[in-house]
Amino acid sequence: MMFAVAIIALFISMVLVLVRLFGGPTLYDRVLAVNSFGTYTVLFIGVLGFLNERPDFLDIALLYALINFVGTIAILKYFRYRKIGDMSPLARKEETGL
Amino acid sequence: MQHHLILRVVTKLLCGAIILYAFYVQFHGDYSPGGGFQAGVIMAVAFIAYGVVFGLDAVQKVLPAWVVHKLAALGVLVYSMTGVVSLFLGYAFLDYGAFSPHHPSHGQHWGILAVELGVGITVTGVMVTIYYAFASRIPRITDEEW
Repeated sequence: MMFAVAIIALFISMVLVLVRLFGGPTLYDRVLAVNSFGTYTVLFIGVLGFLNERPDFLDIALLYALINFVGTIAILKYFRYRKIGDMSPLARKEETGL
Repeated sequence: MQHHLILRVVTKLLCGAIILYAFYVQFHGDYSPGGGFQAGVIMAVAFIAYGVVFGLDAVQKVLPAWVVHKLAALGVLVYSMTGVVSLFLGYAFLDYGAFSPHHPSHGQHWGILAVELGVGITVTGVMVTIYYAFASRIPRITDEEW
Protein backbone atom coordinates (compact mmCIF):
# COMPACT_ATOMS: atom_id res chain seq x y z
CA MET A 1 0.00 0.00 0.00
CA MET A 2 2.79 2.36 0.98
CA PHE A 3 4.72 1.54 -2.18
CA ALA A 4 1.59 2.01 -4.32
CA VAL A 5 1.05 5.51 -2.91
CA ALA A 6 4.74 6.33 -3.45
CA ILE A 7 4.66 5.13 -7.05
CA ILE A 8 1.56 7.20 -7.83
CA ALA A 9 3.22 10.29 -6.33
CA LEU A 10 6.34 9.61 -8.41
CA PHE A 11 4.24 9.22 -11.54
CA ILE A 12 2.53 12.58 -10.98
CA SER A 13 5.92 14.21 -10.40
CA MET A 14 7.25 12.71 -13.63
CA VAL A 15 4.32 14.12 -15.58
CA LEU A 16 4.99 17.57 -14.09
CA VAL A 17 8.68 17.30 -15.06
CA LEU A 18 7.64 16.33 -18.60
CA VAL A 19 5.53 19.50 -18.79
CA ARG A 20 8.63 21.53 -17.90
CA LEU A 21 10.68 19.53 -20.42
CA PHE A 22 8.40 20.31 -23.35
CA GLY A 23 7.47 23.85 -22.32
CA GLY A 24 10.79 25.01 -20.88
CA PRO A 25 11.70 28.41 -22.30
CA THR A 26 15.49 27.97 -22.13
CA LEU A 27 17.90 25.13 -22.78
CA TYR A 28 18.85 24.87 -19.10
CA ASP A 29 15.26 24.30 -18.06
CA ARG A 30 15.16 21.37 -20.44
CA VAL A 31 18.48 19.95 -19.26
CA LEU A 32 17.37 20.25 -15.65
CA ALA A 33 14.07 18.59 -16.55
CA VAL A 34 15.86 15.68 -18.27
CA ASN A 35 18.15 15.30 -15.26
CA SER A 36 15.34 15.27 -12.72
CA PHE A 37 13.32 12.95 -14.94
CA GLY A 38 16.27 10.57 -14.75
CA THR A 39 16.34 10.88 -10.97
CA TYR A 40 12.62 10.15 -10.81
CA THR A 41 13.19 7.15 -13.04
CA VAL A 42 15.79 5.82 -10.59
CA LEU A 43 13.31 6.19 -7.73
CA PHE A 44 10.52 4.71 -9.84
CA ILE A 45 12.56 1.61 -10.67
CA GLY A 46 13.51 1.20 -7.02
CA VAL A 47 9.95 1.48 -5.74
CA LEU A 48 8.69 -0.78 -8.55
CA GLY A 49 11.23 -3.41 -7.51
CA PHE A 50 9.99 -3.40 -3.92
CA LEU A 51 6.37 -3.35 -5.11
CA ASN A 52 6.97 -6.51 -7.15
CA GLU A 53 9.11 -7.97 -4.35
CA ARG A 54 12.14 -8.11 -6.64
CA PRO A 55 14.84 -6.00 -4.94
CA ASP A 56 17.19 -6.99 -7.81
CA PHE A 57 15.78 -3.93 -9.52
CA LEU A 58 18.03 -1.79 -7.32
CA ASP A 59 20.97 -2.81 -9.54
CA ILE A 60 19.19 -1.36 -12.55
CA ALA A 61 18.35 1.80 -10.60
CA LEU A 62 22.00 2.26 -9.65
CA LEU A 63 23.05 1.83 -13.27
CA TYR A 64 20.44 4.33 -14.40
CA ALA A 65 21.79 6.89 -11.93
CA LEU A 66 25.31 6.48 -13.36
CA ILE A 67 24.19 6.79 -16.98
CA ASN A 68 22.05 9.81 -16.09
CA PHE A 69 25.03 11.58 -14.49
CA VAL A 70 27.36 10.95 -17.44
CA GLY A 71 24.66 11.81 -19.97
CA THR A 72 23.89 15.15 -18.35
CA ILE A 73 27.58 16.09 -18.26
CA ALA A 74 27.92 15.14 -21.93
CA ILE A 75 24.86 17.20 -22.96
CA LEU A 76 26.00 20.24 -20.99
CA LYS A 77 29.53 19.99 -22.35
CA TYR A 78 28.22 19.72 -25.89
CA PHE A 79 26.09 22.84 -25.58
CA ARG A 80 28.83 24.82 -23.84
CA TYR A 81 31.82 23.84 -25.99
CA ARG A 82 30.07 22.39 -29.07
CA LYS A 83 32.41 19.42 -28.80
CA ILE A 84 32.24 16.41 -26.52
CA GLY A 85 35.85 15.39 -27.14
CA ASP A 86 38.07 18.23 -26.12
CA MET A 87 37.78 21.87 -25.27
CA SER A 88 37.45 23.86 -28.50
CA PRO A 89 40.18 26.52 -29.02
CA LEU A 90 37.65 29.36 -29.07
CA ALA A 91 36.03 28.37 -25.78
CA ARG A 92 39.43 27.82 -24.19
CA LYS A 93 40.42 31.34 -25.13
CA GLU A 94 37.19 32.69 -23.66
CA GLU A 95 37.67 30.85 -20.39
CA THR A 96 41.37 30.94 -19.72
CA GLY A 97 42.74 33.58 -22.07
CA LEU A 98 45.43 31.18 -23.31
CA MET B 1 36.91 21.81 -18.69
CA GLN B 2 39.95 23.16 -16.82
CA HIS B 3 37.92 25.15 -14.29
CA HIS B 4 35.36 22.54 -13.30
CA LEU B 5 37.15 21.27 -10.22
CA ILE B 6 34.20 19.41 -8.67
CA LEU B 7 33.43 17.67 -11.94
CA ARG B 8 37.02 16.55 -12.36
CA VAL B 9 37.35 15.20 -8.81
CA VAL B 10 33.97 13.43 -8.89
CA THR B 11 34.71 11.84 -12.25
CA LYS B 12 38.13 10.70 -11.08
CA LEU B 13 36.55 9.01 -8.06
CA LEU B 14 33.64 7.59 -10.01
CA CYS B 15 35.58 5.97 -12.87
CA GLY B 16 36.95 3.16 -10.71
CA ALA B 17 33.55 2.50 -9.15
CA ILE B 18 31.92 2.32 -12.57
CA ILE B 19 34.48 -0.22 -13.77
CA LEU B 20 33.98 -2.29 -10.61
CA TYR B 21 30.22 -2.19 -11.20
CA ALA B 22 30.77 -3.31 -14.79
CA PHE B 23 32.69 -6.36 -13.57
CA TYR B 24 29.92 -7.08 -11.04
CA VAL B 25 27.28 -6.98 -13.77
CA GLN B 26 29.50 -9.11 -16.03
CA PHE B 27 30.30 -11.93 -13.64
CA HIS B 28 27.17 -11.88 -11.48
CA GLY B 29 24.91 -11.70 -14.52
CA ASP B 30 23.85 -15.33 -14.07
CA TYR B 31 22.05 -14.59 -10.81
CA SER B 32 20.93 -10.98 -11.12
CA PRO B 33 19.88 -8.64 -13.94
CA GLY B 34 22.79 -8.09 -16.29
CA GLY B 35 25.06 -9.86 -18.71
CA GLY B 36 27.68 -9.19 -21.31
CA PHE B 37 26.02 -6.39 -23.22
CA GLN B 38 25.09 -4.36 -20.16
CA ALA B 39 28.52 -4.85 -18.61
CA GLY B 40 30.16 -3.72 -21.84
CA VAL B 41 28.08 -0.57 -21.92
CA ILE B 42 28.87 0.24 -18.29
CA MET B 43 32.58 -0.33 -18.89
CA ALA B 44 32.41 1.99 -21.90
CA VAL B 45 30.59 4.61 -19.81
CA ALA B 46 33.61 4.79 -17.50
CA PHE B 47 35.90 5.66 -20.41
CA ILE B 48 33.36 8.01 -21.98
CA ALA B 49 32.97 9.93 -18.71
CA TYR B 50 36.75 10.21 -18.44
CA GLY B 51 36.96 11.41 -22.02
CA VAL B 52 34.17 13.95 -21.64
CA VAL B 53 35.72 15.54 -18.57
CA PHE B 54 39.45 15.24 -19.24
CA GLY B 55 39.47 15.45 -23.02
CA LEU B 56 40.00 13.04 -25.86
CA ASP B 57 43.80 13.06 -25.62
CA ALA B 58 43.76 11.99 -21.98
CA VAL B 59 41.45 9.05 -22.54
CA GLN B 60 43.33 7.97 -25.67
CA LYS B 61 46.49 7.81 -23.57
CA VAL B 62 44.73 5.21 -21.44
CA LEU B 63 42.94 3.40 -24.25
CA PRO B 64 44.37 4.19 -27.71
CA ALA B 65 42.05 3.93 -30.69
CA TRP B 66 43.89 0.98 -32.22
CA VAL B 67 43.53 -1.00 -28.96
CA VAL B 68 39.79 -0.32 -28.96
CA HIS B 69 39.46 -1.57 -32.53
CA LYS B 70 41.37 -4.75 -31.64
CA LEU B 71 39.15 -5.24 -28.57
CA ALA B 72 36.01 -5.06 -30.67
CA ALA B 73 37.34 -7.89 -32.83
CA LEU B 74 38.79 -9.86 -29.89
CA GLY B 75 35.38 -10.25 -28.26
CA VAL B 76 33.89 -11.79 -31.40
CA LEU B 77 36.93 -14.09 -31.54
CA VAL B 78 36.36 -15.23 -27.94
CA TYR B 79 32.69 -15.88 -28.70
CA SER B 80 33.31 -17.90 -31.84
CA MET B 81 36.33 -19.74 -30.38
CA THR B 82 34.09 -21.01 -27.58
CA GLY B 83 31.94 -22.56 -30.26
CA VAL B 84 34.92 -23.96 -32.15
CA VAL B 85 36.41 -25.51 -28.99
CA SER B 86 33.15 -27.31 -28.27
CA LEU B 87 33.17 -28.39 -31.93
CA PHE B 88 36.64 -29.95 -31.50
CA LEU B 89 35.53 -31.70 -28.31
CA GLY B 90 33.01 -33.62 -30.40
CA TYR B 91 29.86 -31.66 -29.62
CA ALA B 92 27.75 -29.28 -31.66
CA PHE B 93 28.79 -25.63 -32.22
CA LEU B 94 28.32 -23.69 -28.95
CA ASP B 95 27.10 -26.79 -27.11
CA TYR B 96 28.29 -25.83 -23.64
CA GLY B 97 27.90 -29.36 -22.32
CA ALA B 98 31.26 -30.11 -23.96
CA PHE B 99 33.25 -28.28 -21.29
CA SER B 100 32.28 -30.66 -18.51
CA PRO B 101 30.95 -33.90 -19.96
CA HIS B 102 30.00 -35.44 -16.59
CA HIS B 103 28.21 -32.33 -15.29
CA PRO B 104 26.51 -30.63 -18.26
CA SER B 105 25.17 -27.86 -16.03
CA HIS B 106 28.71 -26.95 -14.92
CA GLY B 107 29.81 -26.96 -18.54
CA GLN B 108 26.96 -24.64 -19.43
CA HIS B 109 28.02 -22.33 -16.62
CA TRP B 110 31.58 -22.06 -17.97
CA GLY B 111 30.42 -21.78 -21.57
CA ILE B 112 28.00 -18.96 -20.86
CA LEU B 113 30.67 -17.18 -18.82
CA ALA B 114 33.10 -17.31 -21.77
CA VAL B 115 30.51 -16.21 -24.30
CA GLU B 116 29.35 -13.32 -22.11
CA LEU B 117 32.97 -12.25 -21.67
CA GLY B 118 33.30 -12.09 -25.45
CA VAL B 119 30.10 -10.07 -25.75
CA GLY B 120 31.26 -7.67 -23.03
CA ILE B 121 34.66 -7.05 -24.65
CA THR B 122 33.08 -6.41 -28.05
CA VAL B 123 30.44 -4.04 -26.71
CA THR B 124 33.07 -2.08 -24.76
CA GLY B 125 35.16 -1.74 -27.90
CA VAL B 126 32.30 -0.70 -30.14
CA MET B 127 30.82 1.83 -27.69
CA VAL B 128 34.18 3.49 -27.07
CA THR B 129 34.82 3.51 -30.83
CA ILE B 130 31.51 5.31 -31.40
CA TYR B 131 32.46 7.86 -28.75
CA TYR B 132 35.88 8.40 -30.34
CA ALA B 133 34.28 8.83 -33.75
CA PHE B 134 31.87 11.48 -32.44
CA ALA B 135 34.39 13.24 -30.24
CA SER B 136 37.18 13.57 -32.79
CA ARG B 137 34.82 15.28 -35.25
CA ILE B 138 35.61 18.93 -36.00
CA PRO B 139 32.60 21.07 -34.98
CA ARG B 140 31.07 23.12 -37.78
CA ILE B 141 28.68 25.21 -35.68
CA THR B 142 30.19 28.43 -34.42
CA ASP B 143 29.74 29.86 -30.96
CA GLU B 144 27.67 32.80 -32.20
CA GLU B 145 24.79 30.45 -32.88
CA TRP B 146 24.64 29.52 -29.23
